Amino acid sequence: MIVSEQLVSNLFYGALLGSVYGVATMGLSLIFGVLRIVNVGHGAFIMLGAFTAFWMFTLYSVIPILSIPIALIFGLALGFIIFFSTIKRLIDAPELSTLLATFAIGIFIEEVAKFVWGSDYVGFSWDIGTLYLGPVTVPYTKLLAFLCSAIIAGLLYVWFTKTKLGTAIRAVVEDREGAMVCGINVGRIYSVSFAIGIGLTVLSGVLVTLFVPVGINVYMGPDYTLKAFVIAVLGGLGSPWGAFVAGFLFGLFENGSYTLLGLIPGVEPFALTRFVAFVFLLIILLIKPTGLLGGE
Amino acid sequence: MLFVRDLESGYGEMQVLWGINLEVNEKTVTTILGPNGSGKTTTLRSIFGLNRPWRGVVEFDRIDVTYMPPHAKVEIGITLVLEGRHLFPSMSVEENLRLGAYTRRAEEKMDDSIDLVYSLFPRLKERREQKAGTLSGGEQQMLAIGRALMTAPKLILMDEPSQGLAPKLVAEVFETVERLREEGLTILLVEQNVYASLEISDYAYVLGDGKVVLEGTVDEIRDSEEVKKAYVGI
Repeated sequence: MIVSEQLVSNLFYGALLGSVYGVATMGLSLIFGVLRIVNVGHGAFIMLGAFTAFWMFTLYSVIPILSIPIALIFGLALGFIIFFSTIKRLIDAPELSTLLATFAIGIFIEEVAKFVWGSDYVGFSWDIGTLYLGPVTVPYTKLLAFLCSAIIAGLLYVWFTKTKLGTAIRAVVEDREGAMVCGINVGRIYSVSFAIGIGLTVLSGVLVTLFVPVGINVYMGPDYTLKAFVIAVLGGLGSPWGAFVAGFLFGLFENGSYTLLGLIPGVEPFALTRFVAFVFLLIILLIKPTGLLGGE
Repeated sequence: MLFVRDLESGYGEMQVLWGINLEVNEKTVTTILGPNGSGKTTTLRSIFGLNRPWRGVVEFDRIDVTYMPPHAKVEIGITLVLEGRHLFPSMSVEENLRLGAYTRRAEEKMDDSIDLVYSLFPRLKERREQKAGTLSGGEQQMLAIGRALMTAPKLILMDEPSQGLAPKLVAEVFETVERLREEGLTILLVEQNVYASLEISDYAYVLGDGKVVLEGTVDEIRDSEEVKKAYVGI
């Protein structure tokens, strides 16, 4: 009885966290889909978003929800700067060049952050009460994070399907030369998509702060990079919607298996959770090699 | 309308075009013929800007457009129907067409253009909600041509529009090209289908090894020994 209650509670928690994973992966998928660039430094941008939320809260008492637009604007600006300074020159270069470049950018951001902020764990606590729902106890902040993730994903969906620029981005994803013969300025689509991808990623860092019990640190990124890669592949690389759905499932799975693995004597559930998550990925890819929502 | 002088281009280190000279007059159909690997596709891609010209000049309506990027060329009235169609497969027929009218100039004419496309290809109208990727090969080719028309072009470059189609559909494609000329468009066509394309052309160029080896009116080309020699058995 206790176990099932704990499982329900953890699954609920996993669903909330999963939605944040989803938003944290959409930017990676978007950038890959449009530019065919794998952003190896992905996690560093999540870290920047987390620190945005931290400093806004500690210095100016701005609650994380209000830091979301600030992080988005910061991320968009950063995305444009990185695009025009680095990525633009590498678009037609071999994959290894862009891998190394994004890897270097990630390390650069981390080290500058360490220089400025130090490498200690920091945190803040934003308490607006807790929801008690049967076996489930959830702080309202996490529910808000879920709500924000769902709204952001929804807005993005509408923007991609209903606006001219969003449709043009989808067109470039589907066929680059096809988009060119329609008169779409593909270079502009690259810069806008890269900026939006980075903007979303920095933004997701704000949401992540509502789920980290031990606080944040300038080296928190790589862990999220790894998870984002798994989620992106699971969702079908290049599909932001697939990434969102996959993030959700990944959160459920990670937290569900955590509870169940904890029952096995002698097992350290945290370490094994990641193993199980990768097995889950393998099984999905065996059944559908293009990922959940991936194209042909 | 279109002048190409001493155009040289290629891929990476490999030069494919060794000085192409050609001219396309307004409201005509001009065909580029030639064996595989003679540089037909590269010529169209270099004129449109998908391949960067190495040397030479491309002029459109007396403006130098040699290094103008593709999207700007669409804006001034040039488009390309790519070999292999390059549609947006998961989008509907209508979404594909609307994307054709992406430039501001084309967007203003969108409603008229859609009417024109649907009157040319009633089958596209029937299938306008269907995803482009689920259309038959012939319908996809119609959609590729339709999408090009949506850009409100003056000059359409067409790269092997009849490729991979059944004979009946090939005839339909050539009829379409003729109708487009009647609508006042100018067409530069690359084709493997020598005799069918000469049927509907006004002027033709024959390429060999990245150079123009022969040019002339359709009758001159048809009767030339070189073409007969080159295409015997095709």
